[in-house]
Amino acid sequence: MKYTKLSKEAYNLHFIYTNRFKKTRIRINFKEKLDEEKIVYRNMLSLVLMEATKKFNSRRLLEIECENLYDIDVGSGTNILGNYNILSFYTAFINEKYTEPKMTEKSLEFFLDFIFNPDIKDNKFNEDTFNVAKNKLHVDIEKFSDNPGRLADYNFRKLVAPNTPASIKAVGELKDLDTVTRSNLYEYYKYLINNDLIDIFVIGNINVLKLEKLLDKYFKNKSIKENSSHILIHKDKTKLVTKKDTKSINQSILYMGGKVFDLTDFERWYVLPIYNEILGGGPASKLFSEVREKNSLCYYATSYFMGVSSIEVITSSIDSKNCDKVVKLINIELDKMRKGDFTDADIKKAIISNTAFLEEMEDSPDSIMRMYQNYEYLHLDLKDRRIKLFNKVTKEDIVRVASKIEIDTIYLLEGSKRDEKND
Amino acid sequence: MKKTIKNLGLNIYSKTLSNGMEVYLIPDKNSHNIYATYNVRYGGKDNDFVYEGKMITVPKGIAHFLEHKMFENEDGNEVFEFYSKSGANANANTSNIKTTYLFSGKNNFEENLEYLLSYVEKPYFTDENVEKEKGIIIEELEMHKDNPSSRIMEKCLYNAFVKHPYKYPVIGTVQSVKSITKEDLYKCYNTFYNPSNIFIVISGNIDVNKTFKIIEKHENKRNIKNKEIIRKEYKEVDKVAKEYEEIEMDIKYPRFGIAYKINIEDYPYDKDLFYKHIMNAIDLKFGTTSLFEEELRNKKIINDSIYYTGVKTDTHFIIVIGAETTNVKEAEKRIREEMTSLSINEEDFKRRIKLSIASTYEVLDSIYAMNSMVINQLMTRNEIDYDPIKTIKSFNLEEINKYLSKLDLSNTTMCVVRKDK
Repeated sequence: MKYTKLSKEAYNLHFIYTNRFKKTRIRINFKEKLDEEKIVYRNMLSLVLMEATKKFNSRRLLEIECENLYDIDVGSGTNILGNYNILSFYTAFINEKYTEPKMTEKSLEFFLDFIFNPDIKDNKFNEDTFNVAKNKLHVDIEKFSDNPGRLADYNFRKLVAPNTPASIKAVGELKDLDTVTRSNLYEYYKYLINNDLIDIFVIGNINVLKLEKLLDKYFKNKSIKENSSHILIHKDKTKLVTKKDTKSINQSILYMGGKVFDLTDFERWYVLPIYNEILGGGPASKLFSEVREKNSLCYYATSYFMGVSSIEVITSSIDSKNCDKVVKLINIELDKMRKGDFTDADIKKAIISNTAFLEEMEDSPDSIMRMYQNYEYLHLDLKDRRIKLFNKVTKEDIVRVASKIEIDTIYLLEGSKRDEKND
Repeated sequence: MKKTIKNLGLNIYSKTLSNGMEVYLIPDKNSHNIYATYNVRYGGKDNDFVYEGKMITVPKGIAHFLEHKMFENEDGNEVFEFYSKSGANANANTSNIKTTYLFSGKNNFEENLEYLLSYVEKPYFTDENVEKEKGIIIEELEMHKDNPSSRIMEKCLYNAFVKHPYKYPVIGTVQSVKSITKEDLYKCYNTFYNPSNIFIVISGNIDVNKTFKIIEKHENKRNIKNKEIIRKEYKEVDKVAKEYEEIEMDIKYPRFGIAYKINIEDYPYDKDLFYKHIMNAIDLKFGTTSLFEEELRNKKIINDSIYYTGVKTDTHFIIVIGAETTNVKEAEKRIREEMTSLSINEEDFKRRIKLSIASTYEVLDSIYAMNSMVINQLMTRNEIDYDPIKTIKSFNLEEINKYLSKLDLSNTTMCVVRKDK
């Protein structure tokens, strides 16, 4: 496996050469500073560009062509990474030696057409495809609260980190969607192509020079400076905030957490993952053992750290009548972590688990691509250095970060249906 | 025995041990990792069987309950603790037809494999630890209840089947889970966890000879006799148990599923392949390449795509077709009108052949996919297809259409999830 980065004025091309996998995968990321009102525009582009191209003017025809190209996978999506919104387009297609000659070229052209040759007439998106995409996004925003897990997570983030990018709803808001028209979306599309930071990640065994030539046709020269993805946090709570909402569901979802201040990079990316592996990382963790196995109060109880937004999260699905008991048990475990009440064997296990995870990434092309993406966007170390640094984490480090973790927010999405007989 | 999957160049080494256990090894030196699965041909459907000469019935959900309990031994929750020491991921899952115990990880592989073979053969059930597990499983069960798609599927199966145990969810019900005792668990364990009812599949960076030796050495030490397993047979009728049901949930738009109960007893060839042909025909009718889906979506009758899924028994397939909709009546009417017959045209058929070929090669990129492919083939056909490309190319469209056209699509049940009042 060999990684090369080619920095062009218009885009960065990250090429991970390997002949290990039968498929080639490409991800094109358009990255722009987060602007809440523009979220729906970016989500609309993610949908509308998948609905039609100049050559294939409906999703149906595109899907048929995907099958003709030996089940080429094409998709898109948006996500919020700290202070940025990233609109991604990705593809995966099987190497032509298993199918037919010229398939690589055809697949590349087909994929790039989604992004660069949309179905535009008179400087507007096609009416039918625009309406289908807008309706889909409208429905997605409307039914955001249908999924209890998603709703509880969002409500918790609003409480724990109000008015920060971490509390933004990634699907967008209806009031913003109402302002999107066929023509202003096309204006935004042109803006995005010409102004966003563009990173192209490729993993596989293809002729990258040919790809570069194709890409150069589409991107004009430009030069943009990048800012940090990390969110600056500030203290906005002096006492514990607790909130409970009710929804007509069977199971209640508990979230506890808080922002963590004054972290070094080592603490953020190395000590906290080890801390959370011990506390709530999996079936060998303290929370699993105490809340689930010893007290039978849940199916899962986990903890994790949101590195970019500096938020520690603990979550579990429970029967609401047991909420106080679960919160008490979690607090006991948090206290034990602060007091260093865990063994060297616990630390060793956590380090081995994180190391094994990194080693296993080599088998997954998507994980390899994600690692290089984090390297680019978050300046996270690559595998070997990460393994080395995980092995440097000590008990003192863990106790020190444990003392920085203060639970300032407890949220419960209470299920009101629990006692109804619906067996 | 070493056999190679043609075109893919994938080698599979297999052996049946003297106690009847089957072992399949798929070495892949390109991989870093190793994935091991221990599969018991016992799942959620096996609730009626012969035990000590008598046909008995055990509570629903017991196979899944048993899977949970195998992770506990005399020293407590030691299994997860053991695997975490080497950074391996251990887990298990239960379906209607099988229970799988698994781990993935390269460190200490030999020791980890030994441990897998040992812990699954040492059940330790006490009144206390059985009671404790009930709270955990009931929370798992409650989690599924808040998912509208799971609820639709669950109701469709419950109402489609009259006698067949697929009527009930693998996890059981709150009441059945509460009624499980340690005696029930031992009865199931002693009946089904017999080496002749078990197969192991290991894929990844392994040494074939060493791996066979570890398993053989371990299994030869055990003195277990092959036992015949007698399961109850169910004579399932073609009619559904109940034709319609509505439930309420806290959702924005209604969703529905129509389950077609299709008798396939007359189909003379491989029923698993026939299931794939039926699903293909349904995808061509309702999937994203169909004019039908395009029209309903453009007219905003459905919110996004039409979904379809299914289950197979020896005599019937249940195919559930549904969508999230703004107009249940209209969407239902249109799907029913469309689902009066099934067939595949030549152009679509040729395209789908390409798709099947591509997905066959895709397996090579993942040790998990290789492992699952072998498990699925052993569970559905009891043998591995060593020339899948030839199988795909030998499909005869005329023959497929002949049997598709004979299917009786008149037995249906429908479940609608409406917004809470």
